[in-house]
Amino acid sequence: MNTELKRTLRKLFKNPSAILGFALLAFFILVAVFAPLIAPPINPLFPDENGNPMKLDDPYIMPILSWSSDPVPPSKDHPFGMIAGRDIFYGVVWGTRTAFKIGLIVVSASTLFGIIIGSIAGYFGGWIDEVLMRITDIFLSIPFLLAAMVLTTILGSGLDKVMIAMIIFGWMATARLIRANILQVKEEQFVLAAKALGIKNFIIIVRHILPNTIFPVLVQATMRLGSLVITAAALSFLGLGAPIGYADWGSMLNYTRNYILGSSGQALAYWYTVFYPGMAMVLFVLAWNLVGDALRDVFDPKLK
Amino acid sequence: MEKKPLLEVKNLKTYFYTEDGIVKAVDGVDFEVYPGETLGIVGESGSGKSVTSLSIMRLLDPNGEIVEGSEIIFEGKNLLELSEDEMRKIRGNDIAMIFQEPMVALNPVFTIGEQIMEAILLHQDVSKSEARKMAIEMLKKVGIPEPEKRVDEYPHELSGGMRQRAMIAMALSCRPKLLIADEPTTALDVTIQAQILELMRELQKEYGMAIILITHDVGVIAENADRVVVMYGGMVMETANVHELFKEMRHPYTWGLLNSLPRLDIEQERLYNIPGIVPDPLHFPPGCRFNTRCEFADEKCRKEIPPLYEVNKDHFSRCFYYQKVEEAQKLKKAGESA
Repeated sequence: MNTELKRTLRKLFKNPSAILGFALLAFFILVAVFAPLIAPPINPLFPDENGNPMKLDDPYIMPILSWSSDPVPPSKDHPFGMIAGRDIFYGVVWGTRTAFKIGLIVVSASTLFGIIIGSIAGYFGGWIDEVLMRITDIFLSIPFLLAAMVLTTILGSGLDKVMIAMIIFGWMATARLIRANILQVKEEQFVLAAKALGIKNFIIIVRHILPNTIFPVLVQATMRLGSLVITAAALSFLGLGAPIGYADWGSMLNYTRNYILGSSGQALAYWYTVFYPGMAMVLFVLAWNLVGDALRDVFDPKLK
Repeated sequence: MEKKPLLEVKNLKTYFYTEDGIVKAVDGVDFEVYPGETLGIVGESGSGKSVTSLSIMRLLDPNGEIVEGSEIIFEGKNLLELSEDEMRKIRGNDIAMIFQEPMVALNPVFTIGEQIMEAILLHQDVSKSEARKMAIEMLKKVGIPEPEKRVDEYPHELSGGMRQRAMIAMALSCRPKLLIADEPTTALDVTIQAQILELMRELQKEYGMAIILITHDVGVIAENADRVVVMYGGMVMETANVHELFKEMRHPYTWGLLNSLPRLDIEQERLYNIPGIVPDPLHFPPGCRFNTRCEFADEKCRKEIPPLYEVNKDHFSRCFYYQKVEEAQKLKKAGESA
């Protein structure tokens, strides 16, 4: 067991792209954890009774620091510049937390849901399988962005509503993947042997089948964690997601809509408004993809 | 002295419903297993012997069905009438099973100790540490060296013979009254085969359990079984005690099967083989299922399914011409000794 773990870790850290992935991920985790220290949630424009800057009620709402909504280039006080009166650096830092929140909650909820649906369909087969898989097909046939838009219109906009929409329309790939794997593993003789020992179906699924099929799902979930942030950003960009001023990379790009093309004759005049939130997003997705790749290399028994 | 049978299988019919039609994998099989004895079930691939064992355990694939009217009576209870929950209590506890491929019959992600303990904890009221002690004890019993160390090893760290021993330890951990061994040694080397069979005989003596030994290997049957059921095309062709069967078989199929064994006492150019192939279970020939390959077959055999004739005490043969078979054997023996 211990030697196995060591071998796995050694294999993991021989791979430069795996190291890069884990390093980036560690960086984002540190930024998210220490966000209050890196970008203190205070508004210097409004001192409280002691003369100290006022604490923000909700640190996720970026404070408005200037009454001009035009972009302000990076300076010493605002290293990433400003847009719509808000500090881009603050938004990028606190947006890391938002990204983790969206990614982790949506991925774990939709993966769990997918695992449950897929396991039941795959293990029991027959009409149960037929019904569950047709439901999956129906969900798959609805274009995701459209479905999410309709759903948020019904539920009302907001980050939590976007997350609900992403969970409701995000479990199908996992369900299909786990079903396919279970169909394969349940024919293995050790499953029959477990049944012959009188073990219950539920325990057979959870203890004997899932551990033999779960790794592809974990790898897929890891990779999805990154891409979900892009999806959430797309929804926020369309104005469906986070409320105005929320520290979310997608919402911040929403502000830049009018400035993406720069000013006349200066295409790159407002580069910083797109570059920093965009770069954060790209690196975040890259980190999860590299980590997912590394996990697949380690766990895929066929590559061993 | 009439003993009460531990298991009685009566008119067992197991059909599989496929897109091409109904496969009558087992079609009216009767036999009994007495406490402490070894019943051998022998037959070629596709004769229905594995389906018979899975029917007893009620572990058939969803498209398989045990037809109404079949009875599997274990200690006075008809297993086919039990609920799934009651059946689960019998599996592993009263009736255990070991499988052909020790390579794949153990779960690769758990240590062998964890797998043996799972069975113990399921059926016995013991603590985890007691279960672990029992698992180590079981491993020692099945002849695994250094059981304290091996108990924490994964299946891939053991050799094929060791894995089959671990499998046996798992199956016997709750001291079942009946062990169904489905081709337990087919996947092993000949020397390991002999060791495993020897081990099963020893444990049988110690625990007093009955064994149903399913195999296509007549040699394994000869050495291990007390009584033998010969199956062909989902039906019992002949049943007798092992000594009588090998000396005085009364069914042409049994004769063919035993004739296809290599013999050292006479000179043979080539090994005998039964002509033809096992019939497709979707299209069994009318009449006796063996008629397409039988040298004794005539019109009657192609029309009617022969009943089981009691040719001797506790010796049954499903052949109209069992007397002809007897004569032919005498002639052949006379020829050999001349």
